[in-house]
Amino acid sequence: MTQRGLRVWGVTLVTLALGLALLPLVANAYLLATALGLLMWLALTQSWCVFSRMTGYVSLGHVVFYGLGAYVVVVTWQQWPLPLAVLAGGAVAAVFAALIGGPVLRVRGPYFVILTFGVAELVRYAILAGEAASGTASRILFGAPDLILIYAAMYALALAATVLLLAVSRSRFGHGLRSLRENEEAAETLGVPVVRYKLAAFVLSAAIPGMVGGVMALRSTYFVVGQVFDPMISVTIIAMALLGGGDDTRGPVLGTVFLFVVEELLWANAPLAYMIILGGILAGFVLLAPNGLVGMIDARRRGVGADAAMASTAPGTAPAVASLGSAPTQEPT
Amino acid sequence: MAVVDTMLSGQLLFAALVTGSIYALVALGLNLVYGTLRMLNVAHGDVVMLGAYAGYWAFSALGISPLVAAPVIALAGALAGWLVYRIAVRRMLAQGTAAHRLEGNSLLLFFGLSIIVQNATALAFTPNNRGYTYLEHVLHLGNVSMTTNRLVALAIAGGACVVMAVFLGRSLAGLTMRAVIERREAAFIVGVDVERVQALAFAVGFGSAALAGVLLSMLEQFSPFSGFPYTIAAFIVIILGGLGNVAAGLGAALLLGVLETYGVALTSANVRSVLLYGVFVAALLLFPRGLFAGRAARA
Repeated sequence: MTQRGLRVWGVTLVTLALGLALLPLVANAYLLATALGLLMWLALTQSWCVFSRMTGYVSLGHVVFYGLGAYVVVVTWQQWPLPLAVLAGGAVAAVFAALIGGPVLRVRGPYFVILTFGVAELVRYAILAGEAASGTASRILFGAPDLILIYAAMYALALAATVLLLAVSRSRFGHGLRSLRENEEAAETLGVPVVRYKLAAFVLSAAIPGMVGGVMALRSTYFVVGQVFDPMISVTIIAMALLGGGDDTRGPVLGTVFLFVVEELLWANAPLAYMIILGGILAGFVLLAPNGLVGMIDARRRGVGADAAMASTAPGTAPAVASLGSAPTQEPT
Repeated sequence: MAVVDTMLSGQLLFAALVTGSIYALVALGLNLVYGTLRMLNVAHGDVVMLGAYAGYWAFSALGISPLVAAPVIALAGALAGWLVYRIAVRRMLAQGTAAHRLEGNSLLLFFGLSIIVQNATALAFTPNNRGYTYLEHVLHLGNVSMTTNRLVALAIAGGACVVMAVFLGRSLAGLTMRAVIERREAAFIVGVDVERVQALAFAVGFGSAALAGVLLSMLEQFSPFSGFPYTIAAFIVIILGGLGNVAAGLGAALLLGVLETYGVALTSANVRSVLLYGVFVAALLLFPRGLFAGRAARA
């Protein structure tokens, strides 16, 4: 980013943060609920980036952390104080990531992508089967807190995710993650503790989604297990990150806001059309614009033109997706 | 001992055989596509789903027996696979630098396509379950009773697997295909037209998936979202059986069929997906290097 670009972006980000913070003073319940959705996706996408964009290991199963957090809050409903339950949701998600991280993070490339999807589906069906066996298919939650409280909690989580991504991105740890994204063997040879770093990033990126799930569970008075483990949540997170692209703070925010607007316009009236667009974004950006919106903006600013942006994969600015290719896949040698 | 009786009844074994033979057919097609291109086509199961719709419409709108429609639908699927390769995949691979990058991302690409196909189908045909009854006549063989449609499906799926095994093991085109699967660069150097082999693999892969879809439509209800579990099942079979290995793949498919059928019979229908994804995750964790684990060990 240029100096001017950095200033423009800084002002935009602060305006967005302030606007969302002050919104409860002026907005009605409907608008507030909509903005809550935006905050949720901001928190989820940026958390995902902490692991997947930094390391190039694309997780297609982040919904499992969201779902576990939600499940913890619902199971402990009216037995534990809510803040504690939400924190416990985050802790359970992080512990789960730490437990599966060892074996799962040994798998690479496309196999990792499909494996994370499989793990999330396995947990979903296992909990569904457990619920069916115990005869609790769904639950009604009475006495959920005020929307404004939920909004405040989600705001804090979105802010935390933004700060976490920024902090990791600029730290020595973050540089280590980037190096293993570019070439894991080389990074290991140079002394980057790749196994420990990958696991740490995985756990970090699981905690906030767990708490987000816990907070969102309070929004629905009628709780269905299948819903909080919906794989489309994982897909939406990836689509948002992919759409944004880039390797700085702009990507996830731009992508989230953009796709969120599309979702709001289409979801209620034309859910199937929205899903088709979501699939189109996934396929289209992988194929044509792996650097996402940020890549397009930067290329235009450099005066290269958007067409070149679509074709360019400058190694220096290797973003989430361009770098996926360098997460090594097995060649039959 | 009721449990032991259940386990030993031919009834369950027969059901496992039917499921396993369809898994084997779907996996064999995916094996060829994956083996020659090294791209995980997660939309493979959606071809099965589209084949099921073709069989359904042929029967309920045109009154054509699925047995008559099956070869036509399989050929149409093969043609579609060939076209997809010629129009989209070849162009994609030709993008030089993009090819390397794509290998890692191909999964997201195909996942996106899969979402498009599923939801476009739901938009066109409604997301509801569909099915029809055909050849419901019950046959008795010893103490095993089986419906004719299951017997026919088993025969066709098994027969198709045998035909493909003979094709891969005996014909020149099949041997060439196996050469490309084993050592693509080496095959290219000795003069194999890799492009043509890949197009053929797509055609055979899509065709066999469409055929499996028609068989599926005879046996159970399906929806636009029924395809994905078949992709997962096919992955399991390929991981366990290895690339291009027909016999081992057949064994793995039957094992999966047995595991699923007996697992559900001993517990409840809710466990079916748990078993499928459980085996899938376990297989990937056991072979973290994906589908080349066995090959690397041998080399």
